[in-house]
Amino acid sequence: MKIRCAVTHLMRCPARFFLTFMTGFATLPLWTMSVLSASDEVVQFNQDVRPILANHCYHCHGPDSQARKGGLRLDVREHAIAASDSGNFAIVPGDVQSSHLIERILSEDLSVTMPPSEIQKPLSLQQKEILKRWIEQGAEYEPHWSFMTPQLPNLPEVKEESWPENEIDKFVLARLEQEGLQPSKAAESATLIRRLSFDLTGLPPSTSDVETFEKEMNDARTHATQESAESRQEAVYLKWVNRFLDSPHYGERMAVDWLDAARYADTNGYQVDRDRQMYLWRDWVINAFNSNMPFDQMTVEQIAGDLLPNATQDQKIATGFHRNHMLNEEGGVIPEEFLAEYCADRVETTAAVWLGQTFNCTRCHDHKFDPFTQKDFYGLYAFFHNVTEKGIGNYGADIRINAPPFLKVISSEQDADLARLRREHDDAKKSLADLDAKLVAEQAAWVASLLSSELSPSEQDSNDTAKSTTLPNEIRAILNKQQPDRSEAENKKVTEFQQSVHPDHKLLSEGVAALSKQIEEADKKVPTALVMEELPTPRETRVLIRGAYDKPGDVVTAATPASLPAMSPEQPRNRLGLARWLVAPENPLTARVIVNRLWQSLFGVGLVRTAEDFGTQGEVASHPELLDWLAVEFVRSGWDIKHMLRLMTSSATYRQSSRTSAELRERDPENRLLARGPRFRLQAEFLRDQALSASGLLVPTIGGPSVKSYHPAGLYEQVTAGSGTNVYVEGTGDDLHRRSMYSYWKRSVPNPAMLVFDAPFREACTLRRPRTNTPLQALNLMNDPTYVEAARFLAERMLSEADEDLASQLSYGFRLVLSRRPTSAEQEVLTNAFHRAANDYQVDVVAAQELLAVGAKRSADNHTAVQLAAMTIVASTILNLDEAIVKE
Amino acid sequence: MHNNLGSHISRRHFLNSSSTRIGSAALATLLAQTANAREPVSLPHKPPKAKRVIWLTQAGAPSQLELFDHKPLLRDYFDKDLPDSIRQGQRLTGMTAGQARFPVCPSVYRFGQHGQSGMWLSELLPHTARIADRMCVIRSLHTEAINHDPAMTLLQTGHQIAGRPSTGAWLSYGLGSENENLPAFVVMISRPSGPTNAQPLHERMWGSGFLPPRYQGVRFSPGKDPVLFLSNPPGITTARRRAMLDDVAALNQIKLDDYQDPEIQARIDQYEMAFRIQRSVPELTDMAQESDATFDAYGPESKKPGTFAANCVLARRLVERGVRFVQLYHRGWDQHGSLPGGIKSQCYDTDQPSAALVQDLDQRGLLDDTLVVWGGEFGRTVYSQGTLTATNYGRDHHPRCFSMWMAGAGVKSGTVYGETDDFSYNIARDPVHIHDLNATVLHLLGLNHKALTYRHQGRDYRLTDVHGNVINGIIDGIIA
Repeated sequence: MKIRCAVTHLMRCPARFFLTFMTGFATLPLWTMSVLSASDEVVQFNQDVRPILANHCYHCHGPDSQARKGGLRLDVREHAIAASDSGNFAIVPGDVQSSHLIERILSEDLSVTMPPSEIQKPLSLQQKEILKRWIEQGAEYEPHWSFMTPQLPNLPEVKEESWPENEIDKFVLARLEQEGLQPSKAAESATLIRRLSFDLTGLPPSTSDVETFEKEMNDARTHATQESAESRQEAVYLKWVNRFLDSPHYGERMAVDWLDAARYADTNGYQVDRDRQMYLWRDWVINAFNSNMPFDQMTVEQIAGDLLPNATQDQKIATGFHRNHMLNEEGGVIPEEFLAEYCADRVETTAAVWLGQTFNCTRCHDHKFDPFTQKDFYGLYAFFHNVTEKGIGNYGADIRINAPPFLKVISSEQDADLARLRREHDDAKKSLADLDAKLVAEQAAWVASLLSSELSPSEQDSNDTAKSTTLPNEIRAILNKQQPDRSEAENKKVTEFQQSVHPDHKLLSEGVAALSKQIEEADKKVPTALVMEELPTPRETRVLIRGAYDKPGDVVTAATPASLPAMSPEQPRNRLGLARWLVAPENPLTARVIVNRLWQSLFGVGLVRTAEDFGTQGEVASHPELLDWLAVEFVRSGWDIKHMLRLMTSSATYRQSSRTSAELRERDPENRLLARGPRFRLQAEFLRDQALSASGLLVPTIGGPSVKSYHPAGLYEQVTAGSGTNVYVEGTGDDLHRRSMYSYWKRSVPNPAMLVFDAPFREACTLRRPRTNTPLQALNLMNDPTYVEAARFLAERMLSEADEDLASQLSYGFRLVLSRRPTSAEQEVLTNAFHRAANDYQVDVVAAQELLAVGAKRSADNHTAVQLAAMTIVASTILNLDEAIVKE
Repeated sequence: MHNNLGSHISRRHFLNSSSTRIGSAALATLLAQTANAREPVSLPHKPPKAKRVIWLTQAGAPSQLELFDHKPLLRDYFDKDLPDSIRQGQRLTGMTAGQARFPVCPSVYRFGQHGQSGMWLSELLPHTARIADRMCVIRSLHTEAINHDPAMTLLQTGHQIAGRPSTGAWLSYGLGSENENLPAFVVMISRPSGPTNAQPLHERMWGSGFLPPRYQGVRFSPGKDPVLFLSNPPGITTARRRAMLDDVAALNQIKLDDYQDPEIQARIDQYEMAFRIQRSVPELTDMAQESDATFDAYGPESKKPGTFAANCVLARRLVERGVRFVQLYHRGWDQHGSLPGGIKSQCYDTDQPSAALVQDLDQRGLLDDTLVVWGGEFGRTVYSQGTLTATNYGRDHHPRCFSMWMAGAGVKSGTVYGETDDFSYNIARDPVHIHDLNATVLHLLGLNHKALTYRHQGRDYRLTDVHGNVINGIIDGIIA
């Protein structure tokens, strides 16, 4: 039954791939191809049958009990082989003739045929054949692969034993050898170091790094014996891997993907979309990666840092992960509605980020394809339902930075500053009080002198305060009464008048007011961060019928999904218990899901392509054993992310050249078999970072409040409410040249230069960005002032830092961006480009000056406008090359 | 193994790939990459009535009671409490939930009958009244959302919560563009000319959600760069740009020869496409080519760039050039207070240009296969928000019924569909949910709303979620 024939390694394929091809071009990638032609081939449930049942049948005959029809359930074997409501047996193992399912799918009678035509999911002939053969062979089920705890697989045997650098390569090579394919040779040193640098820091390597690396690799290569040459090269390479892993920019690079997962942004997202303050959480993420915090700890602190015993300020900040969701401040909001929305968002995000499961389906009903129920959803929801939040933004309040609960995070300088101000304030208030007491004591005398001076001005002492005062009629009237006749209010008025005419009193009270204001201002500058905070008494949680906030059903308590390994009874039934369950060794999903995303960040596509869906509708892994090996190793290493990245980047698989050939492309267009290195477009942030870095403009400061870089004018005004934070005020100085991950992220109008390169809106969790290639991207790279200015500064570096000859200058510019020297053919194109542009601008100097005026930062006056403008054209040409846009 | 293939490649794919001249190898790669996503099958599903859509979205929610839903009996109810039998305990927004009473508030504007059908329309819409015989007014729209953001997100994406593709993105994905030098989906936004509260919009409303970002709406703005980053920087002429692009192409070709990566060919093609867009968009937005008669028809605001009227002229120019989906947003309909004045100024902005657009399309023979839709995200309450006087009042959000109109391709013109009760509070007959509206729009475009799907997170998603019925009552004849 379980024996696979010689070609079953090709049977990775969900049968639904059969029909997606076209004659003339394309073949399916081999790894997804099923070749069920010979009738003796064994059908595999997970790979061949489940995708058909899930996609075509489970909708009405699957886990969702509400939607189930005819009493037939096909996702569980014992139900599928039992009699349905009609008394028929859908599946009789080994007996196709008696299996009602086969009769129904083969029927030509539209009133009988399954799936019914109205659901528009007809089965192909091949799919029917697979189902027939599966029943013939005994209709065996297998548990879905991702719900089984990964076991350490045996390392496969390989023929080409010298190729593997580590275990990863054995799995990859074994597969390639099965396919009759060869791995590619290693990439050139320059290519490799640029690849490494982008993968581990999101920045290009400096030219001196490239030169040192090349030299060290070369020196090692020329070493006497081949064996020692190899081990020396290996040592050099590993040293550089570690250097990049130790760079403070490593944490930034890793954070970018995590911010997508965590739906991080600088605004609340709904309607007027006002600012929030969350950069402290973002900086926590950078630090966590930089300090290589074990992933299980990262998980616990972000989900439940506040519930740890003696939680530190950092651990509380970490919990901002689940306050990153959007927040509605609209005037007419009904709080319960949005409280439900936020809790649901937390459930869906947690399930996607850690478990790779699509829980959003179960908000309204049992899952149609995976073994999760609506009750499971609200079980998880209950963990997140106890936060001291209101369900509505801080609409209308004076200070609307963050909606409670939030944490004030004061720096030591700010603390000292505030303490000093408060002291000064207290002192000033005391002096004022002293003066007031003195004035009260002197009041009778003062009144007497005042009245006498009124009567006989000439007799007054010239220093008396009363002299310069014109007595208001109201006060005079009071003073003309005898003390016993004056009311309390009248006495107060007299005192106030006495104070108001005393010069010291005025000075002192102004001082007190000014200090109060200063304290208020300083207090406003203390940053805050949205955090999780538990209610003393948990809110009651009920299943929401069809997911609607105003249709509560049965009461549920906090619980993890029933179909996954249970939570340890020792753990508390709160977020802390949940967090520990997510990273418990028996959890079959988390480690796989995380290593798969690490793989995706390096290779462009995960071993499981559907990084966000490890359920039955997701794709199976291209290398299932490798995925399991990595997952087991991840847990064994103590959830050590740097260790995993070190393993992946030091593999021979990773180090291959990304050159391809027509034959290889034909066999494996997407490189799922990994017979070559990864080559794909840089993500939005790193493209801009590269231009800033290569041009020397980059301000490498790490962390801090978000900044406002160049932005097309008028973009906000058209769509926003048009006031306050809804007007984009471009930053100045360093703010214009920080790394892109620090750019202010407004959810309603995300930075267009990021969007055009496929950055998400950050409204919901994103675990896999698409990679498109569009003309709007070309317009951005050619015309955005960011890139025009960067080209000018790159040109200046070429002219100033290289030798004086044109060839050296061009070559230097090439190296700054691409880490390699141009070939002679490339050099020729660049040389001609420079001369053409120089001749052109020679006769149009004004145009040259106009080009050089783009961007806020001025160039030094070392070069003629013509020279610099012509080189700017060359620099822009280099920045627009495909090779500059991709990591190869 | 590969028989039965041609029919499974979408028309859009052919259009897209042939228009951008991606080499066949690149197409193969793209195909393989999207195989998982199950590209739509041979679209449209059936011969379409409409080939393109202009959606005149009135953001902020125009009051049906002042424009389309004539309720003469309300005169007798002035300042009387809305009967409980009508309100039936329906929920209120956070803005009027605290109000002590809900006084009924008839419109201060008069209605008259227009066109051969005798359609009742407000005196605020004298120009729209002229096209009464070309339109179908739907008086029985309804939605679930009670606040702007979720309601607009539902109207545009079929779901209240952000993250799904907008209607334009679905069409761009399903049908592609008929013009290789322009995007398939264009968005233009105008602000009210009057001093009225303009609700914010979000890029997500024309976003592509989980569809690839190339399907998202491209925002056209007034000014030097109708499309972001369209213009070359100062000091770069078209000739200089051309020369630079030739160099980029030459260097990319060297790389392609070495690496054989079809993505490099695609990059070369996209840069060429960018250059063509740089030339075609300024021609498109050059209003100097329009006659005085056109500006007269669209009204005095149409010469001012960025107004709703000017955008209407541009919308016609876009559909003339084969753009599939043009979405205009006009903001400022959110009259919680001072409604009579506010709505008048909104009608000044929109009435004449909307009517002129329909007539203009008609005269140019484009109305036969262009669908025009006019309306906002929900309706407004029959009771006054705030103080009610004989001449002034406000109206709160009302999702339970509101009006829209459609005109052009396949629409049963000169008709009214659906009916509300005497208070325009509940629907009395033929309700049309947002999903039904979207299903109907797709239907007119020859698309089965249940079959235009995209696989995301293991599920086949559609614009109408798991809802929606085509409303035959607003369709002219039967589409096979």
